[in-house]
Amino acid sequence: MDQSLNLSRREFLISTAAVGGGLALGLQLPFGVNAAIAADVVPEVNAWVVIRPDDTVVIRVARSEMGQGTITGLAQLVAEELECDWSKVSTEYPTPGQNLKRNRVWGAFSTGGSRGIRTSHEYVRQGGAVARMMLVQAAANQWKVAASECSTADSVITHQPTGRTVTYGKVANAAGKLPAPDVKGIKLKDPKDWKIAGKSMKRFGAAEKVTGRQVYGFDLKLPGMVNAAIMECPVFGGKLKGFDAAKVSGMKGVKKVLRVGDTAVAVVADTWWHAKTALDALPIDWDLGANAKVSSASIAADLKAGLTASQAFVGNKSGDIKTALAGAARTIDAEYAYPYQNHACMEPMNATARYTPDKCEVWVPTQDGEASFAAVLEASGLPADKCEVYKLDLGGGFGRRGAFQDYVTQAVRIAREMPGTPVKLLWSREEDMRQGRFHPVMQCRMTGSFDANNNLTGLHMRLSGQSILASVRPAIVEKAGGKDPATFQGVAESGEHSLGYTFPNMLVDHAMRNTHVPPGFWRGVNINQNAIFLECFMDELAHAAGEDPVAFRRRFMAKHPRNLAVLNAVAERIGWDKPAPMGLHRGIAQMKAFDSFVAAACEISVEGGNKVKVHRIVAATDSGYAVNPAQIERQVAGSFVYGLSALFMQECTVKDGRIEQENFHSYNSMRIAQMPRVESIIMPGGGPIWGGVGEPTICVAAPAVLNAFFKATGKRIRSVPLKNHGIEMV
Amino acid sequence: MEPADVERDQRRDFLMTAGRVAGGLGLAALAGQAWATPETMQSAVRRVAGDSALRRGKVRLSIPPLVENGNSVEITVSVDSPMTATDYVKSIHVFTEKNPLPEVIGVSLGPRAGRARITTRIRLADSQQVLAVAELSDGSFWSDSADVIVTLAACLESLI
Repeated sequence: MDQSLNLSRREFLISTAAVGGGLALGLQLPFGVNAAIAADVVPEVNAWVVIRPDDTVVIRVARSEMGQGTITGLAQLVAEELECDWSKVSTEYPTPGQNLKRNRVWGAFSTGGSRGIRTSHEYVRQGGAVARMMLVQAAANQWKVAASECSTADSVITHQPTGRTVTYGKVANAAGKLPAPDVKGIKLKDPKDWKIAGKSMKRFGAAEKVTGRQVYGFDLKLPGMVNAAIMECPVFGGKLKGFDAAKVSGMKGVKKVLRVGDTAVAVVADTWWHAKTALDALPIDWDLGANAKVSSASIAADLKAGLTASQAFVGNKSGDIKTALAGAARTIDAEYAYPYQNHACMEPMNATARYTPDKCEVWVPTQDGEASFAAVLEASGLPADKCEVYKLDLGGGFGRRGAFQDYVTQAVRIAREMPGTPVKLLWSREEDMRQGRFHPVMQCRMTGSFDANNNLTGLHMRLSGQSILASVRPAIVEKAGGKDPATFQGVAESGEHSLGYTFPNMLVDHAMRNTHVPPGFWRGVNINQNAIFLECFMDELAHAAGEDPVAFRRRFMAKHPRNLAVLNAVAERIGWDKPAPMGLHRGIAQMKAFDSFVAAACEISVEGGNKVKVHRIVAATDSGYAVNPAQIERQVAGSFVYGLSALFMQECTVKDGRIEQENFHSYNSMRIAQMPRVESIIMPGGGPIWGGVGEPTICVAAPAVLNAFFKATGKRIRSVPLKNHGIEMV
Repeated sequence: MEPADVERDQRRDFLMTAGRVAGGLGLAALAGQAWATPETMQSAVRRVAGDSALRRGKVRLSIPPLVENGNSVEITVSVDSPMTATDYVKSIHVFTEKNPLPEVIGVSLGPRAGRARITTRIRLADSQQVLAVAELSDGSFWSDSADVIVTLAACLESLI
C-alpha cells in the first residue's frame, strides 16, 4: 500500500473512522477529533488552553490517563485559575514532538510515582491563570478600559463599572496574539477558595470506557495496517539464534517473518490472530545462555545469604544498634520474603508504528510520551523533526509503560522493515507475562531488642534482594556510592518516603543481591514489601511487649504527627478501642509514601483456618491537598484491588531462567465478589508539599490483613503470596 | 570541491580576517565564546584547553535531543578538517555537566586517522548539556554543544 504519509491529522482521523467501519464510527478517536480541528482553525490562548468561538475550552495536559483520573484533576486545576465554564471543558494530549519543539512548555510527560498532580499542579495552574489574564486583557483592549476593572466567572468577562460582558470565546483569538504576562507575578488562588478544583467533578472519558467506545492501543486500526506478534527470548539475557521462516511463511495471512534486534522474532500478518498462530508454529532456536540455570530456589538462596552478610548499604540509622542488641534483655527476630510480581495490565503491551525514511509515527499507550519518543528516535534513526508519538489512554500502566519502552522499539524496528505500512505490534498475554519488568524480590530479617522492662531498645531491618535502579538507572546508584536509595522507600531517613517512627537505636540496611530477572517499578514500588516487613514486625513487637498494636506504635510517633493523625483516624473509624464484631478480627498499618501519609485498618474473618474474607478496610490519606475527592476514593479502592491480589495470589517464579507463569490461570487477580467495602478518609493537611494518591495506600492493605490474620489464627505469615500457605481469599 | 568544504574554507577565511582585524579577543567573540557551564565541567575543559579560547565551529556534535534512560546514548563527533600532515585534528574530547566524571571521552588523533570523526555510546546521568571539543594541530580549540533530555524513570524524579 502506498501511504502518502502527508495525511493531515484531520484527514487521518476521518480515514481512521471510515476504515474502521460501523464500530469505529462514533468512536472517540485517539487524540480527539474536536481537539484536532480546534487546533487547526482556532489559535490557542496559550499552550494549555484553546478556546473556540462557542466558548468550548480544550485544556492540554501532558500526563497520561490510565484510569487514575489525572487528566480530570489537572484540567480542574487549569480551569480553576482560568475561571471558565467547566461544563464546556474537554482535554487533549499535546505530543512529545510538539513539546520538544516548544522548549518543553508542557513539562515532563512522565506519569508515574504518583506524580501526575503533585509535581505539576503549580505550572498547570499558572498556565490557566496566564490564559485568564490574556483573555481579560483582550477584552479590556476591546473596550478600551483597564484590565483591573474587569472580573471573570464561568467564561464571562465583566467590566465592573459599566456591566458590559463578553465571553471568552469572543476574545480568545485576540488574546492569543497578546504577549503572555510573567508567571512570577501571578498569585495563585488559595485552595480554600477553589470552586472547580477540590470538587468531585465527574471523570472525563468514563462514559466511553463504560460503553466500550474508548479506543485503546490494541483497538487502533489504521488504513492498510498489518499486525505483528512477537516472541523475545524467554530467558532474560538469551539471544535469538535463528528460526525456520519457511515452515510458516505459507500459513494464512502471513506477510513477513523477521528478526527483531538480537533477542526476538516477529511474524507480521493480515490479522493479529494469523500472526500469533504462525508465531506459535514457528521453529525458533534460542541461545539461552548461562541464565538458563537460574531458578527461584537459587535466587532465594542468594538472598538468604544476604540476610547475614557483613556488607550492606545503610539506608537509615539512629543511635547504636550493635550496642542495643548486645545489651538487650531479649531479642526477637523474624524473616520475611516478597516475590517477583508482574504488572499484568489488562491491555497487553502494544504500539503501532508507521515508518518511511521521511517520517516515523507511533501510536502508543504510554506512561511517558517523551520516553516513547526517545525510543522512536533511536529505533528509527531519524531526527526528532521527522518523528512523532501520539499517546493513547492506557488500559493499565502500573509502572510497566513508563521507564520501559521495549515494545515501542520493537514496533519501530518491525515497521522499518515494511516502509509505508502501519504495523500494530501487540504482545500476547503470554509474552506480557514472560517479558515483564518485575516487582523485585526481597527478603528481610527484622530484629528487635527489649530491655528488662519490655521497652523496645533497638530495631534492625536487614533487606536482602534486588535493586531496581542498579539496572534501570545505574547513574543514581553510582552517585549514591553503590547504594540504591529507592530500596528504602517508606523507611528512609527523610524525604517523600521517610520512616514514620523514631526508634532509640535503629539500622535499616540493604544487602544488594541482583539477579538476571529485569526488575521494574510496580505500583508502589518498594513500599509494598517494606510496609509488610515493618508493619507486620511492629505487630510482632507489640505482641512480644504485651501491648496493643496501636498503642505500641504511638510510642514512637511523637515526632511524626501526620503519620499519627492518619493512624488515629483509621483506628477511630474502625472502632479499634471497642471489641470487633463477633467473628471479625482487626489489623492496622501506616506508612508515608510519595509524600502522602496513609493508614489502613481492616476487618477480616477466617474460616477453617485458611479461608479469608476481607470485610472492610478503612483507609486514611493525607495528601496535603485533594483536587478531586471522589477520584481519590476510587484510587484508594483500586489500590486495594491491586494490593490484595498481590498479597493473596500473585507470584512470578523462575524455572530454567524464565518466568513460569503465562496467563491468569497461574497469575490470578481478585474478583469483584472478593472485594471488601472500602471507606476512605480524605484528610488533606495542607502545607507546601503535595502528596500523591495513586500508589501510597497500596502498601498498607497487605500488612493490615496479615496482622488481622494473626489476631484471628495466632499464625504469623511472613511470605507472599498467601496461596503458597494454602490461604484463599473468599 | 564539495559544498561543505567551500563553506568551511569561507568560514575559515572569515575567521582569519576577523582575527586580523579585531585581534584575538574579537575572534573569540565573533566565532562564539566559551559559554556558561557548571564549574566541574568548566575546570575539566580548562585542564584540556588551558587558557586557549574555546571557539564555536568546525566541530559537529550529533546526539539525540531526547533519550530514554541515558544508559547508552549514541554520540558522534565530527570535525571539519582535511586531516593532512599540516592541518589535522589532534584530539577530540566530550564533556558533560552532570555526569560523575565531567570528561567522558578523550581521543587522540593524528593525520593518519583519515577522518576526524568518532562514534560511540556514552552514559548520561541526567538531562544536561554535552560539550564536544576538538584541538587542532595549530593549537586552536573548537567546540559544539547540545542539550539532551534524559526522560526520567517514572517513579524517580526526586531521587535524581
